[in-house]
Amino acid sequence: MAGKSGRTINATPENVWKKQIFSWEGILVIIFIAVIILCKILSPNYTFTNVLREMPKYLSEIFLLFPMAYILLLGEIDISVGSIVCLSATAGCLVSNAGVPFGGVVIVILLTGTICGAINGAILVKFPELPSMIVTLGTQIVFRGIAEIVLGSGGSVSLSNTDGFRMIAKKAGPFPYVFFLVIISAVIFTVISVKMKFGRSLYAIGSNRQTAFYSGIRVKKVIFTAYTVMGLFAGIAALFLTSALYGANTTTGKGFEMDAIAMAVFGGIATTGGKGRLVGGVISAFIIICLRIGLGQINMNSQLILVIIGILLICAVLLPNITGNMKLKKKAN
Amino acid sequence: MSEYVLELKGITKIFPGVKALNQVRFQLRPGEVHALMGENGAGKSTFIKVITGVHRAEEGEMFLNGKKVEFKGPRDAQAAGIAAVYQHPTSYPDLTVTENIFMNHEMKKHGMIQWKEMNKEAQKYLDELDADFKSTAEMGTLSVAQQQMVEIAKAVSTHARIVILDEPTAALTANESEKLYHIVDKLKEDGVSIIFISHRFEDMYRLASRVTVFRDSQYIGTYDVDKITNAELIKQMVGREISDLYPKPEVKFGGEMLRIENFSRTGYFKDVSLNVRAGEIVGLTGLVGAGRTEVMEAVCGITGFNQGKVYLEGKEVHIKNPTDAGNYGIILLPEDRQKTGLILSWGLGRNVTLPILDKFTHKGFINEKEERNLAKDLLESVDTKAVTVFDPASSLSGGNQQKVVVAKALAQDNMKVVIMDEPTKGVDVGAKAEIYQIMGELAQKGYAIIMISSEMPEIIGMCDRVYVMCGGKVTGELERSVLSQELILEHAMEKSTKKEGA
Repeated sequence: MAGKSGRTINATPENVWKKQIFSWEGILVIIFIAVIILCKILSPNYTFTNVLREMPKYLSEIFLLFPMAYILLLGEIDISVGSIVCLSATAGCLVSNAGVPFGGVVIVILLTGTICGAINGAILVKFPELPSMIVTLGTQIVFRGIAEIVLGSGGSVSLSNTDGFRMIAKKAGPFPYVFFLVIISAVIFTVISVKMKFGRSLYAIGSNRQTAFYSGIRVKKVIFTAYTVMGLFAGIAALFLTSALYGANTTTGKGFEMDAIAMAVFGGIATTGGKGRLVGGVISAFIIICLRIGLGQINMNSQLILVIIGILLICAVLLPNITGNMKLKKKAN
Repeated sequence: MSEYVLELKGITKIFPGVKALNQVRFQLRPGEVHALMGENGAGKSTFIKVITGVHRAEEGEMFLNGKKVEFKGPRDAQAAGIAAVYQHPTSYPDLTVTENIFMNHEMKKHGMIQWKEMNKEAQKYLDELDADFKSTAEMGTLSVAQQQMVEIAKAVSTHARIVILDEPTAALTANESEKLYHIVDKLKEDGVSIIFISHRFEDMYRLASRVTVFRDSQYIGTYDVDKITNAELIKQMVGREISDLYPKPEVKFGGEMLRIENFSRTGYFKDVSLNVRAGEIVGLTGLVGAGRTEVMEAVCGITGFNQGKVYLEGKEVHIKNPTDAGNYGIILLPEDRQKTGLILSWGLGRNVTLPILDKFTHKGFINEKEERNLAKDLLESVDTKAVTVFDPASSLSGGNQQKVVVAKALAQDNMKVVIMDEPTKGVDVGAKAEIYQIMGELAQKGYAIIMISSEMPEIIGMCDRVYVMCGGKVTGELERSVLSQELILEHAMEKSTKKEGA
């Protein structure tokens, strides 16, 4: 049953280069370059090797960004990840001090995170009418609460055997191991989001959950998977955080969830779901990290750094709105 | 004093692409109950919204007590003493009855709300209506009937002289309806004029002295209720001529494709059994709210069901979600294209290929070129009016959006049963004919088709067999040879004539 009118529909994409440069990701690259130039001017110590040396303590947070971006694309949110990091790190330190070999410690840390994430996912899938903001607020309190109970009155635990953790904190040339893992994860998460069925499903669910469900997308499975992966990566973040701190305490990972959300939003991923790209999130993560390191080097007050990043974030969210309004006004005229 | 308390002349209301009202007139006498009848989509609701100032008509005049008026918004209509009570009360469920009644016209003294007086006053209105609940009750805890009573009390509290009741009995049991009749009688005694919209003839005979009929956005006539027979009235409501809009091909039926037996879901439908053969177009009709869509959504695994069995080609199948249904080849084209049929912000191509991503995914990776070409072919096969496969779905007209939904179904190679829910709702006549054409071709290719529709002409024009539903039950199964609008309507309204609660 061919079209009766003989009408044809074009299926060739336009030349995409122009689009890429004027996209939000294009602007982010420019901001990234500007930030590096600025830091270079401000601080004489702002060299490639120095920045890489300071990077590991920030890098563990980036592990949270990738799955958080997925969850935001779904139109959901997870604010319990900071607590999952805390609980996983605590569990890891305790079993390590109990004499479990390093391999076992790694498994415990990753498994703790994965189970926590799966709990979030299971609740949200079982009770779809509950908002994820509230559910993960609840588990945020519960997970950290459990960690605090386990840590007891002292509120902290130090590793008695740091051998294994020292090993993963090593470097290859100027690059810490964790840096490679971040890059590999970034590539995998980005490719899945643009090239694979799971990624397409994320965007479909975030754009119109009902239509996705009616079209045969396994909505519950996708949501559960995203939250479980979030938990696993909170475990990975906990592993590298522990290898930098040699211990855990009740404030470990506090605020990590907000940092991850900020990176994603700054990268152009909308909290309403279905919009934005992983690439943007990754670039914005490095912008924030490089800015923090630079401002830290000139001994700027760390609270002031937070204020600056907060303001940047609001500007980043406002910008597309302002340009969008301008376009609308043009159209109206 | 004029002969009519309300008179409208030559009202025309145009929505983008559709004339919702075409030169409609209406006259309301003081103290009368005037019924307004017509099929779904005949323009009754739009007409009411013109009277209440929600919509402004492009053409026409409105007279109140002989004086010409022009409402700029609902507030003007309210001030002029016109109040409307809708089928689904638009109330604030978390506030009390008093607050709902006095919403926007609270009793104030020095800027302070006078709660005591207001509660007392509200209770007075409720007592007048013989209400069995207190004015301090929370709105959300009341039944639909009680909420309607509150809406009526609200109308009374604004001293409305014209009250419009939009299908007030649709959600009521026989007892509750009786109570509503009493209230209407009471209002009438107080000299209030009432416009009453209903699908139930029983309501009309019991209450109204005159009835006005709309059909296809046009005024058909006004009749005295005791001078017109039931049959005549139905003819006026549905009696349009059927042209060659319906290219129904002669198809030799194959074996039975889908059969459902004793399907039940508490509160929605009960003991529904039906079947469809290859090449057959089966209609599922009835008034809005009869449970048609709910049955088919349960078949496709979108909602659950309590009881019943589904057979595909003679074998029992268990469908737990839409993915299962798709795997079995049972494809639903949902009624609401914008909410459940398409992702409006996405391009057409990706919309079409959403259910069949596996088809061009190799070793886990989506081959986008293959995807685009497949989408292009499918969209062209249904003759979609679009420039590229990247055009957002939101940029298309209703009819073309429906074609995209059809293309999306056709993408699924294993398709055996096609369920189309109101496929021509909100679609202009030209695109309608094209959709019927596609439907006929699908039947010729041997697909089994179920069409849910409220539109009598398309049911009669396209279907080989029709199931009529009413109150969650199948009340009739009619062969093509005996199909008539009167017969369908008779079955669709069975509940009201037999007077039994669902």
